[in-house]
Amino acid sequence: MTLESKRRVIFFLGMLFLTSLIFVQWMEVTRKRQEAGLDDAHVSVPAASKGCVDCHTDNTPGIVSHWKGSTHAKKGVGCLECHAADPADADGYPHYGKHIATIVSPMDCSKCHVTEGKEFATSHHAKGGRILASLDNYLAEVVEGARVPFNPHSKTLGRSHESEKVNGGASVESGCKQCHGSQVALVATDGSLITMADLKPGEDGKPTNTAILQKIQKDGKGKPVLHSSTWPNTGIGRINLDGSLGSCSACHSRHDFSPRRARQPENCGKCHLGPDHPQEEIYNESKHGVAYRDLRDKMNLDSRTWVLGKDYSAAPTCATCHMSGHSRNGGKVTHDPGERISWTNRPPISQVMDTDKNHAVILETDPEKRRALIADSWEAKRNRMKDVCSHCHAPDYVNGFYQQYDDLVRLYNEKFAKPGTAIMTELKKQGLLTKADFDEEVEWDWYYLWHHEGRRARHGASMMAPDYTHWHGMFEVAERWYTKFIPQVREIVDHAKKDGRDEKAKAVEQVVEEIMNRAEHRWQKEPPKPPEPK
Amino acid sequence: MGISSWLKERIPVSGDQLRELTNEPVPNHLRHWWFCLGGTPAYLFVIQIVTGILLAFYYEPSSRTAYNSVKYITDEAAYGWYFRSVHKWGATLMIAAVILHQMRVFFTGAYRKPRELNWMIGMCLLLLTLIAGFTGYSLVYEQLSYWGTTVGANIGASVPVVGDLSKQMLLGGETYNERTLSRLYIIHAAILPVLTIVLLGLHITLIRLQGVSELKFSSEKEGEPAHFNFFPDHLLTEIKIGLVLMILLSVLATVLPATLGPRADPLSTPEVIKPEWFFYVAFRWLKLFSGTFAVITTGFIVFTMFVWPFIDSFLRRRKGLEEASVWVGILAVLSIVGLTVWEAAVAH
Repeated sequence: MTLESKRRVIFFLGMLFLTSLIFVQWMEVTRKRQEAGLDDAHVSVPAASKGCVDCHTDNTPGIVSHWKGSTHAKKGVGCLECHAADPADADGYPHYGKHIATIVSPMDCSKCHVTEGKEFATSHHAKGGRILASLDNYLAEVVEGARVPFNPHSKTLGRSHESEKVNGGASVESGCKQCHGSQVALVATDGSLITMADLKPGEDGKPTNTAILQKIQKDGKGKPVLHSSTWPNTGIGRINLDGSLGSCSACHSRHDFSPRRARQPENCGKCHLGPDHPQEEIYNESKHGVAYRDLRDKMNLDSRTWVLGKDYSAAPTCATCHMSGHSRNGGKVTHDPGERISWTNRPPISQVMDTDKNHAVILETDPEKRRALIADSWEAKRNRMKDVCSHCHAPDYVNGFYQQYDDLVRLYNEKFAKPGTAIMTELKKQGLLTKADFDEEVEWDWYYLWHHEGRRARHGASMMAPDYTHWHGMFEVAERWYTKFIPQVREIVDHAKKDGRDEKAKAVEQVVEEIMNRAEHRWQKEPPKPPEPK
Repeated sequence: MGISSWLKERIPVSGDQLRELTNEPVPNHLRHWWFCLGGTPAYLFVIQIVTGILLAFYYEPSSRTAYNSVKYITDEAAYGWYFRSVHKWGATLMIAAVILHQMRVFFTGAYRKPRELNWMIGMCLLLLTLIAGFTGYSLVYEQLSYWGTTVGANIGASVPVVGDLSKQMLLGGETYNERTLSRLYIIHAAILPVLTIVLLGLHITLIRLQGVSELKFSSEKEGEPAHFNFFPDHLLTEIKIGLVLMILLSVLATVLPATLGPRADPLSTPEVIKPEWFFYVAFRWLKLFSGTFAVITTGFIVFTMFVWPFIDSFLRRRKGLEEASVWVGILAVLSIVGLTVWEAAVAH
């Protein structure tokens, strides 16, 4: 072979090598950018879901686009892994050769996410749908809306459905249930609703009352009709047709199920905000929230694992304190946010979070019986939270904070909550209130006092937001107590006396005056001396 | 006394002697830049040393601190991202340059007598460069580099007889542990550079002693000088190549900067583990055959490459196979490129 021929061989092989090098480097850079989270990973669509992806890329491109950015897509979890239904499922239907269901319940997610499913099922979140019979729901169902549909009283311009009845449950459906969760219902052929209570699902989620399956109304394509009052809904305590409670997509929005989003406070803020439980606003006001906004870029939010003290330490979010793993617990995440909460500030009077084997707050007053019932004490819960705090704060600081928090809760409980509860109980006992709730001003004021202002004060103290503790909290509690609640109770007492119901009036009056003569309330009668300088 | 005479008194080498010492006649074929790739790895090696020293100012070799120090270099240290990226791309180009240089030497038979030993030194330099690439990436302590090192060490362990010992020597124990990173760091930043400098010195000294192998192309006219001066002609070509390389490195570092994946997690094995690209060929080979067979055959191929000048001599003299090396070379390059591209193209 001549030297010229060899030169051509070298040229050809050299070019081949350089070309392959460019290709290999391109693949290598792509792979490393994906690993670093700078690019979306290449998605291999599972064969069973290929048809779904092809069709939905045209019909609902947003869903496919979100899914392609998900960890599910990277790991080969396609559409059918979550949406495939059993022929026995009440909400299953044939869809282009597959049998699927629209709603994916926690029971479906738990097939893979077993631990997460168990933890969530025991959480207070999962029981959010049980609000249905509460005072809050009475407000939305009755006071704001109506438990019966009613006729419109005049025409609405531009609407053709003038004969359509007004849905009295609209506020509950678009309001309460979107956070708390609906009781998912199918429409029956007679127009009634079919819920899990009718289906009586077994442990596997399959209906045991199979007779009722024949009554399910289906559309032209054989798809069971979900009642619009209950679906769409991603409330965290949704009561599903398979008997499971909750909706994973309440926090892990479909269809990308982004861990990044679940780690951010705005995610929780869909529901934890507003006048009665402004946790997001409180967090934003706190030093924690201020640090988060400033240091968000250092939060490593895209990291596969997100362990406090290992993957990040810049600032805490809701998830950090209440759910995420940290370096002192081996990085273990919990899906029961109650595991680290030591007071429940939800009821009128705050209770410590001693919980029984069913994860319910123990209200037993006898100390021995109470001790026997405790499966997880409030001290254990507090210590779990302290483990999180201690990543950034010294023990004295953490203990000092908890002393301040306990003091605020106890001040609210003892000065306003327990006395207010006693007064309202006595008013009802003596029959000085009507049977209907919220038809008297004192009921509204009492509700505002504990449900809005009292919670704001307690939540504000729990998460170090001074303005919410004081001006939006205790200040408004006190204002309502002294200028509205107590004067209204006294007025009711006066009216009762005038109406000749002396005995009942005196019983209430005795309770009120005993309370208002206590040292903490006597300032109105005996203005206190200014404090002596120390 | 002027500075010139002051220096001459202390360094007793005259300008003429210095010119003679450095200004070796260079064969005409080196007028073409593609024959000058021998100097390219040396140039890139200098860049690696300089950028490596800058990175070493900040790098902390322990499993607790390594990842954060690389993150600091990448995100916070002034121009840290640039020097890290130049170091990363410098390694890639250096390996590519060594391979191209070796291809040229192989196909033109420049390893033949009396240059057999220099070929073997060159082979050692190739292996040192590959090991430097492997240990260097391990230092990042990101998820892929950690698992790449673990898999690499396990592959090494399957070498008969010395496998387990070599794995223990590399990792400082049975498995990746607290002492592994400091060991890899010393290998990468001290042992390998010193060995490379020594062998590179030997390599260049032998070239200087034996001269560059002469290639006479038919296009060259008879009667014209067969050589030209090293200084300034050849040096100018080398400087041009160096400048082009520096521009290429800067462009690569800026457009495709070195990334940083998630921190290494010894408890979580990634779905896809791949070594750096220059081990793709061996990795694909390992996937094609059973572990021990693949390791033994890889060792055999490397050994064959080492002693190829003697095999080639045997084939030519005893068997009359003049062009055997060309066909073996074509087969080898096609195989290396094919296996590398195959591994790069597939996810698993």
